[in-house]
Amino acid sequence: MRHPQQIGRMSAPRRKVQLATAAMLLVATTMAACGDGQDDGGKASAPKAPATIPELTTDPLTLSFIWFDWPPAQALETFANTEYKKERPNATIKVNTVPNANWHDAMFTQFAARKTDFDIAILDSQHIGEAVTNGNILDITDFVKTNIDVAAYDPYLLAAYGQFPQAETGKRDENASLYGLPLLGDTWTMIYRKDLIGDKPPQTWDEMISVAEKCQADNPGVSGLAFHQANGSDAAAVTYNTVNGVYGGNLWDSKTRKIDGVLNDAAGHEAMDVLVNKMKPLTARGSGNWFIDEVNAAVAQGKACIAFNWIAASGGLLDPKQSTLGTTREQILDKLGFATLPSQKTDLVPLGGMGMHVSAYSPTANQTEALNFMKWFQRADVQKKWAAAGGVPSRTDALKSPEFLNAGPFNQVYADSVPRMRDMWNVPEYARLVDIENTNVNAALNGAKSPKEALDDIAKEQQSVLDSSSRKGGGGL
Amino acid sequence: MLATVFISPALLLLLAMSVFPLLWALYLSFTDYSATRGGPARFVGFGNYTAILTSAQVHQRALTTLIYVVGAVALQTVLGFGIAYLISRRTHGRGLLTTLFLVPMMLSPVVVGLFWRFMLDAQFGVINSMLGSLGLGQVEWLTRQRTALISLIVVDTWQWTPFIMLIALAGLTAVPKYLYEAASIDRASEWFRFRTITLPLVWPLLLIAVMFRAIEAFRLFDLVYILTNGGPGVSTETLSFHVYKVAFLGFNTGTASAYGILMVLVVIVLTQLYLRYLNKLKEG
Amino acid sequence: MAVSVDEAVSTGPTRERTPPTRRLGGRGRSVLEIALLTVLAVVMLFPVLWMIETSIKENRDVYAVPAQFFGFSVTIDHFKDVFVAPGGGRSDLSVAFLNSAVVAGVSTVLATVLGVPAAWAYSRFAVKAKKDQLFFILSTRFMPPVVVVIPIFLMYRQVGLIDSKLGLILIYTAFNAPFTIWMMKGFVDEVPAEYEDAAMLDGYTRLQAFWRHTLPLLVPGIAATAVFALIFSWNEFVFAIFLTSSDSVRTAPPAIAGLIGGTTTDWGLVAAASVVFALPVLVFAYLVRKHLIAGVTLGAVRR
Repeated sequence: MRHPQQIGRMSAPRRKVQLATAAMLLVATTMAACGDGQDDGGKASAPKAPATIPELTTDPLTLSFIWFDWPPAQALETFANTEYKKERPNATIKVNTVPNANWHDAMFTQFAARKTDFDIAILDSQHIGEAVTNGNILDITDFVKTNIDVAAYDPYLLAAYGQFPQAETGKRDENASLYGLPLLGDTWTMIYRKDLIGDKPPQTWDEMISVAEKCQADNPGVSGLAFHQANGSDAAAVTYNTVNGVYGGNLWDSKTRKIDGVLNDAAGHEAMDVLVNKMKPLTARGSGNWFIDEVNAAVAQGKACIAFNWIAASGGLLDPKQSTLGTTREQILDKLGFATLPSQKTDLVPLGGMGMHVSAYSPTANQTEALNFMKWFQRADVQKKWAAAGGVPSRTDALKSPEFLNAGPFNQVYADSVPRMRDMWNVPEYARLVDIENTNVNAALNGAKSPKEALDDIAKEQQSVLDSSSRKGGGGL
Repeated sequence: MLATVFISPALLLLLAMSVFPLLWALYLSFTDYSATRGGPARFVGFGNYTAILTSAQVHQRALTTLIYVVGAVALQTVLGFGIAYLISRRTHGRGLLTTLFLVPMMLSPVVVGLFWRFMLDAQFGVINSMLGSLGLGQVEWLTRQRTALISLIVVDTWQWTPFIMLIALAGLTAVPKYLYEAASIDRASEWFRFRTITLPLVWPLLLIAVMFRAIEAFRLFDLVYILTNGGPGVSTETLSFHVYKVAFLGFNTGTASAYGILMVLVVIVLTQLYLRYLNKLKEG
Repeated sequence: MAVSVDEAVSTGPTRERTPPTRRLGGRGRSVLEIALLTVLAVVMLFPVLWMIETSIKENRDVYAVPAQFFGFSVTIDHFKDVFVAPGGGRSDLSVAFLNSAVVAGVSTVLATVLGVPAAWAYSRFAVKAKKDQLFFILSTRFMPPVVVVIPIFLMYRQVGLIDSKLGLILIYTAFNAPFTIWMMKGFVDEVPAEYEDAAMLDGYTRLQAFWRHTLPLLVPGIAATAVFALIFSWNEFVFAIFLTSSDSVRTAPPAIAGLIGGTTTDWGLVAAASVVFALPVLVFAYLVRKHLIAGVTLGAVRR
C-alpha cells in the first residue's frame, strides 16, 4: 500500500510539469502564428556563398547530404568517407536517404521549415528553379569562378546541374548565376538482348520499334519493349520527353514562356502517337505503372527484348543474384548489350543525374565544409576515383579516362551521350508541371485518355500553371 | 477544481495540437500563403473556396472518393456481416476463427499497400499467376481505370471487413435466445426470424460501424499513395490525395488549407446528420 | 458492459437454439456453411501467408511465373538483412524499428497519463457542457491526417520540431488522447463511484480515494487502452512521412515504404520487414482481444 502512495505523491509535480508544458506549447504556437509572415518576407533570392573558402574548422564535423534511396547514395557515402577523410580527418559524411517518391517533398518541406538536417541537397536538375526562387540554396557563382576550372567540363553539364535560369538549349550562359555543381551524371541507356536481336543495336527509332516487334513475335513470353510508364516521380514524363526530343519536338519556348502550341505541335503529336500506338503495344501487359525497378526486374527475368533505363540504375542488372540471365557477370553480359539511344529526326537523349547544392540554412562551418567538399570533388584525380568507385563523373578528362570507361559496360554509353543531352524546364513550377505531364502521359499509356487529348491537356494545364501567378485564390488546383 | 486540474492538461494538448492548427488553417484558407515561397500572405477572401468548389478537377476527385467510399463500405458491410453470421452459427472453433479473421485489420496500411501491390502485379503477381493456372487471362489490376479503382476497393475491403465482422458478431451473439425460442414455437421461417429478430437488433450497431468505416474511407490517403499513386492518370486520386498534391507539389498552402477545411466540414456535417438519423431510428 | 470477443464467441446462445439438424437438409446446409467459411478464411489469410512465404524465398524465386507455392529453397537471409546492414553493423531498418518503439512507447505513456485522469474526471464530476466537450474531443480524431499535417508542419517549423522524435510523439499523443479519454471513460463508468465515496468517509481525500481504490481496478482497462494507442502510433504513416526525413528519426512505416522505388525492389526484404513489423502488433492485439470492439471504435461501441 505504501508503494502506490509514494507514487501518488510524486504525481502532483509531474502533473504540474505537464500543465506547464501544454501551456508553453500553446503560448509558443500562438506567438509563432503572430510572427508568421514576417520572418521570411522580402527574401526572394538565394544568398551568396563566399568566393574563396573561409578557414575550415578543426572540430569533428558531420557533413550531411540528402538523396533518395538507391545504390549511388550508398556508393557516395562510402567513397566520401574513405577518400575525403584522407584530406579532412575530422569530417564524417552522412548521406540521408528518403523514399524516391518522397524525395522532392522531403527536401522542400525542410527548405520550407527554414531549417535543414542536410548541408548539401542533392537536387534533381529541374528542382533548381524552385530552390533558387525561394532562396533555399547558396549562389555559388563567385565560388565557382575562383575555385573551379570550368573549361574542364562540357559546358552543358555545368549549366544543367547549376545554372538558373536554365539553359535547356544545351548552351551555357556565361553570365548566368550558378547554384550547384555536378555530382552524378546520368542518361538513358538502351538495354538490348544480344542473344535475341543480335550484337548490333538498332540505330533509328523506327528500326528499334520494328526489331522489338519481330523479337516479341519470335519469342513468346518476352515483350518487345520495357520503359518507364509510372505516374510518380518523373517517370512517364521523361519517357514522353525523350520521344518528343527524338521526333524533333520542343517542350516549351522559354523566352516567351509558351507551352501551349509548342509542346503540342505536329512533332509533339507525332511523338505521342509513336509512344502510345507503336511503342506501348510492344510492352508487357500491366506495365503501365512501371518505373526503374520494374523495368530492371523485367530485364533480369528475361522478359524484355529492348529496355530503357537510367544508367545509374542499371548496375543491379549485372548481379547474378537478382538475375535469371546467367550465374556470373560474364554470362549476363553475353546476353545483355548497352547502347546509346537510337536517333530519328534528332539524336537527343534525356539528361538525368543530380548536382550538389548547399543549403542556405545549414551552419556556416558546415557550409564552408560543403564548399570545400565540392571543390575537392571536382578535382581531376578525385573525379577519376569517383568513376572507379561506380560514380559517373562530369569532367571531360574523367569521362575519357580508362578508370571510368572500364568501370561498367554502360559507361561508354554515357560518354557518347553527353553531347546529345536535353533537360526539362527547371522553373520554380517544375513539380506541378511534371505532375501534369506524368499523370496525362500515364493516362494515355493506359487508355484513360486518347494520345491527342492527353497532349493537348498537358499543354493547356501546364500553360495555366505558368500563367497562374496573378490569379486570386485557388492556386495549385 | 479537481476536475479542472485533471481535464485541462488533456484539453490544452488538444487545443494546441488540434484546434489551434485547425484555426490557423482556417486563417490561411483565406489567403494565398505558400509555405516555401515565403513573403506575406495576401488576403484573397473566399477565392480559394470558390476556386475549389467550381474546379472540375475537384469534382472528379469527389466522384472518385464517393465511388470508393460507397463501394468499399458496402462491400465490407455485406461481407463482414456475412462472415459474422456464419461464425455465429458455428459451435466449435469460433474463438480461433474470429482471431484469424482479424489479422488484416491489425496490419499497417503501408504493409497492406506494398504487399497487395506486389500480389496484384500484372506480370509477376501471384493473383494473375493463379488466374493463369485456372486458364483465365491476365488482368491489369492497377493500370486500367476501372480495375484500379476496384483494386483499391478490394484491398480496403480485405483490410476492413474484419472490423464490420467484429462488431456484427458482438450484435449477433447478444440477441437474447428467448426471442428465437419463441419464434421457433411459432414455426416461423428462418428468413422471417432473421428479418424480424436478428436484423433489427444488430442494425444499430452495424450502422455505427458503417459510420466509422465511412469516415476512415473518406480520408483515405496512404493506400492510394502506395498502391496506385493515383493512377492510371488521376483516376484513383481521392480528395485526400489531391490535397496532398496541392499542398506539397506546388506548396499552395492557402488553397490546400481551404481544401482541408472543406473536407473537415463535410465529415462533421455528414456525421451529425447521420447521428441524428441514428437517434431517430432508436426512438422510432 | 463491454462486449468482449470471448463473450462474443462464447457458445452460449447458439447451443440452445433450435438444432439445425432437425430441419430437412440441415446437415447439407451446415456443410455448405462450413465450406463457405473455410473459403472466406483462406481468401482473407492468403495474403498474409504469401507474405510469410515470400519472406523466406530467394529473390530469384520471388518473381517466378507461375508462382511457386511449394518446393522453393528456404532462406532466412531476408530476416538477417532486416537487422544487419550489408557491410555489417545495424541496418537502417533496425534503427527505424527502434525509433518506432521509442515514438510509439513514449506517446502512448503520455496519452495515458493525460487521458486517464481526464476520463476519470469526466466520469465522476459534473463538468460544464460535458457532452459538447466530449464530442469535441472525439471530433478531433475525425480530421483527415493529410489536412492536419499542413498546419502542424507550419507550427512545428516555428518551434523547431520538424524531423524530430519529439514532434512525432506530440502529434501521436494528441491523436491518442481523445481515444484514451473515450475508452477509459467507459471503464471508469463501470467502477461504482460508491467505492470512492466510502473511502472518503474514511477520511481520504477524493484524490487519494481515486488513487487507492479506483485506479487499481482500472489497470486492465488502462492496459487495453494503451495497447490500442500503441498500435495506432506503431502503424501511422502520414505524419511520419511528412514530418520526418532523416534516418535517425524516421519510423518503420516510411522506412518500409522506402524499400521500393530504388533501382531493384528486394521483395523478400520487404516481406521480411513487414512480417517483423507486424508481429508485435499481432501479439499486442492478441493480449487485448477482450477489448477489441471498444478499441477499434474509440470506445463508442461497447454495450
